[in-house]
Amino acid sequence: MTGEEIKDLILEIIEDIDDEADLAGLDPAGPLREQLDLDSMDFLDIVMELRKRHQLQIPEEDYPNLATLNSCVIYLEPLLKDK
Amino acid sequence: MRLPVLIIGGGLSGLAAAVRISRFGQRVLLVEQHTRPGGLNSWFFRNKTLFETGLHAITNFAEPENKHAPLNRLLRQLKVKRSEIEFCPQLGSKILFENCATLCFSNDFNLFETEINEKFPGAIDKVRNLLTFLQKFDAFAPAPFRSARAFLDEIFAEPLLTEMLLCPLMYYGSSNENDMDLAQFAIMFRAIFLEGMFRPQGSIKDFIDLLLRHIQENGGEIRTSCGVQNIAQHKGYATAVLENGEEIECDYILSTIGSQETEALLQRNNGARDDTPRLSFVENIFQLPYEALPAGAQGTTIIFFNRGEKFHYQRPQNSIDPRSGVICFPSGFKGVAKRELVEIRTTHLAATEKWERLAMVPEAYQQEKKRCSGLSCSTAESLIGDFAHAVTFRDMFTPLTIKRYTGKIDGAIYGHPNKIKDGNIGLSNIFLAGTDQGFLGIVGSMLSGVSIVNQHILPRL
Repeated sequence: MTGEEIKDLILEIIEDIDDEADLAGLDPAGPLREQLDLDSMDFLDIVMELRKRHQLQIPEEDYPNLATLNSCVIYLEPLLKDK
Repeated sequence: MRLPVLIIGGGLSGLAAAVRISRFGQRVLLVEQHTRPGGLNSWFFRNKTLFETGLHAITNFAEPENKHAPLNRLLRQLKVKRSEIEFCPQLGSKILFENCATLCFSNDFNLFETEINEKFPGAIDKVRNLLTFLQKFDAFAPAPFRSARAFLDEIFAEPLLTEMLLCPLMYYGSSNENDMDLAQFAIMFRAIFLEGMFRPQGSIKDFIDLLLRHIQENGGEIRTSCGVQNIAQHKGYATAVLENGEEIECDYILSTIGSQETEALLQRNNGARDDTPRLSFVENIFQLPYEALPAGAQGTTIIFFNRGEKFHYQRPQNSIDPRSGVICFPSGFKGVAKRELVEIRTTHLAATEKWERLAMVPEAYQQEKKRCSGLSCSTAESLIGDFAHAVTFRDMFTPLTIKRYTGKIDGAIYGHPNKIKDGNIGLSNIFLAGTDQGFLGIVGSMLSGVSIVNQHILPRL
């Protein structure tokens, strides 16, 4: 998966969690939670969807790596490179 | 059989937990000892009619745009669309303290503020202080019991207002006599007064069927008439032996059946009994033609009443205490489909041990049921107008009825007075959700199932 594909994947997952999420004006460097008004329960859904769709096991201590769209790409690129 | 998660108990917390786990493709089995799911909120057929066992109203009403409201968070977590449920908001409810005061409230908090301002001049600023306090207060942080009554007495210095505010919140969710935990008060105040009440169109059966459909579509499994004999923790896994002798091996067990009830399955504490007193209730159903609803039922959803000099929320001396209670009109919600026959439901505090003694002589038990049904009916009549003559069918659940169908100790619907808020019962792979975790009501219990799964199980599967 390329960086762009990973971004799309995350956005698709977020849209699936909250179909009213405003994704158009999203700053890729800003925290997802604040921008999308997600709470910690919603945030767990991103982790669980990545596992369901790509069998990725993300340990709890790595959750902060998913804070922004850009950090998602940096963290997930090596894990998804063959997918 | 080996699977990731076993859920014990098919009440609303267990059902919500099963939807949540199965949503991410994880295998889950839910076992329920009764023939039907729903727990306290189930249904039965009598007189060619479906009757709900426990539903008065669902608290925590929220409009769709209020994303962080518990109701909307819950539905998102379960991936249940709001359009799958038709919401019927309450018409309006009241707290009626006979010969003292009446406070009306609805899903618009302004009405309640106006009412308090009229009946308790000067108290409105104190109510606003309370709201400011509640906004900042973290009701979910682990904390020792703090008396809501003492807290309110200090703010208001107006015992009648304190009791009137406590009455609905206690009846809809306090497992403590004459008091409630401040955190519980904060949650219930928001759920009932700030957010409000609704019921889903149709019956609780439709609501439960919706959850069952989601579990099945997600690939989860549910077995009813399936009790559990015992459970045990091992290194890295847990086991459960079902009543049919089958052994289930799993990574995690989530028990929703109560803390002591779970201890009994674990066979810990050498079987020592915890005798902390529990509160129990009777519930009456009076079925009657729509046209026969008395004047006091018109435009009304629920009446929380007290006729005594003081409000006593405690185990009564007699089999029931008719001095206070709840009167509910399930037809009193906006948009509810009109039916020819409707119900009036009443709830009062009850003494389980009295009913247990009566049950030793079946005729005496039946006779007392009849007497209490009559007492409750005449109590309601004196508050809302006559309707006894029009009743076509009546039924009453005692604490023993509740105990028999739900397995709850003493038939105490709100469980043990001490709650285990983090669901941690000292084991690495067996957790507690539901009544004894402490979130009450339908939305509360479902959030209990979801949040314990999120906290302890999902991230580790």
